[in-house]
Amino acid sequence: MSSPSDHTRPPEPDDFEHRLAEKLKARQARQAKENAAPSGWATGMRYGSEFFGGVIAGTVIGLLADHFFGWSPFGLLAGVMLGFAAGALNIVRAVRSMQN
Amino acid sequence: MADTNPIKQFEIHPIADLSVGGLNLSFTNSSYFMVLAVGLTVGLLAVATSRAALVPGRAQSVAELLYEFIADMVRSSAGNDGLKFFPLVFTLFAFILMANMLGMFPYFPAPEFHGFTVTSHLIITVALAMLVMVIVMGYGLFKNGLKFFSIFFPSGVPVPLYLIVTPIEIISFLSRPISLSIRLFANMLAGHILLKVFAGFIVMLGATGGALAAVGILPLLMVIALTALEFLVAFLQAYVFAVLTCIYLNDALHPGAH
Repeated sequence: MSSPSDHTRPPEPDDFEHRLAEKLKARQARQAKENAAPSGWATGMRYGSEFFGGVIAGTVIGLLADHFFGWSPFGLLAGVMLGFAAGALNIVRAVRSMQN
Repeated sequence: MADTNPIKQFEIHPIADLSVGGLNLSFTNSSYFMVLAVGLTVGLLAVATSRAALVPGRAQSVAELLYEFIADMVRSSAGNDGLKFFPLVFTLFAFILMANMLGMFPYFPAPEFHGFTVTSHLIITVALAMLVMVIVMGYGLFKNGLKFFSIFFPSGVPVPLYLIVTPIEIISFLSRPISLSIRLFANMLAGHILLKVFAGFIVMLGATGGALAAVGILPLLMVIALTALEFLVAFLQAYVFAVLTCIYLNDALHPGAH
């Protein structure tokens, strides 16, 4: 039942599907925006701290090994290398978790 | 008149001096804001849930939203049996969020009217991260016994490589509290310094007078934009801390699942 001033046809199934598709598209766009990668600052901070944490932990362990076992300087050398590897591993894990 | 030192906001002033056996246990502005954060969280939630209705009012729906938000997060990243840690995660999230939000006040009804951000101090975030790691390790060992250590021995690795992989995994595990605490601390510190630096520009340009004073509108716009960004960061960092807590708890609950 359309009013006289209404020039469009009354709602039809096609029309409904059209509107539904539009709504769905808008919703998908919104979801894509919500799921989009966080801002560059946040991402950089995340990766930076992951890597930094790995190197710091490795260095501290190396220094402790030097201190307690008298391995100086090889504890620190090994610790920094392993810390570097751990930091890289942390980044890989962080990237993987952010992509999923 | 105006102090444009961007670091001054992080200074800790004792409010009530207290010394126990040579240890300085003064009640500081940091303690004040922590007590306030806990008090406000508990108070607001108590008020919001005091008159529980089937059709929630405004305050109650915010409280329910918060509950659902955290519960969904725990469920999706630590599974249904992770829900027994819901109180921990909710407390951490609420405390960090409230502390971050209280830090957004430039002036605050505190002694000397200084605003203060609790989470911009490394010692606080380290304490929170260590709390999480101690609980993860303690519960992991309690529940899984020695199987907990299987997270250090990823499956599908040739045996000789464990010589390298295991130390790396252990360091990676130990680096978690470090990166967890540094992320929160660095975000809050950097954001608040940035805010104060640009706010300082307004004062300095205004003090020069003349045409330069008109240029002061630019840093003002920047400060407005940064304030909005800081509110986002304040929420986001509380969320990230809570999510990572859930992910680490998942390791304790289901070791060897990754």
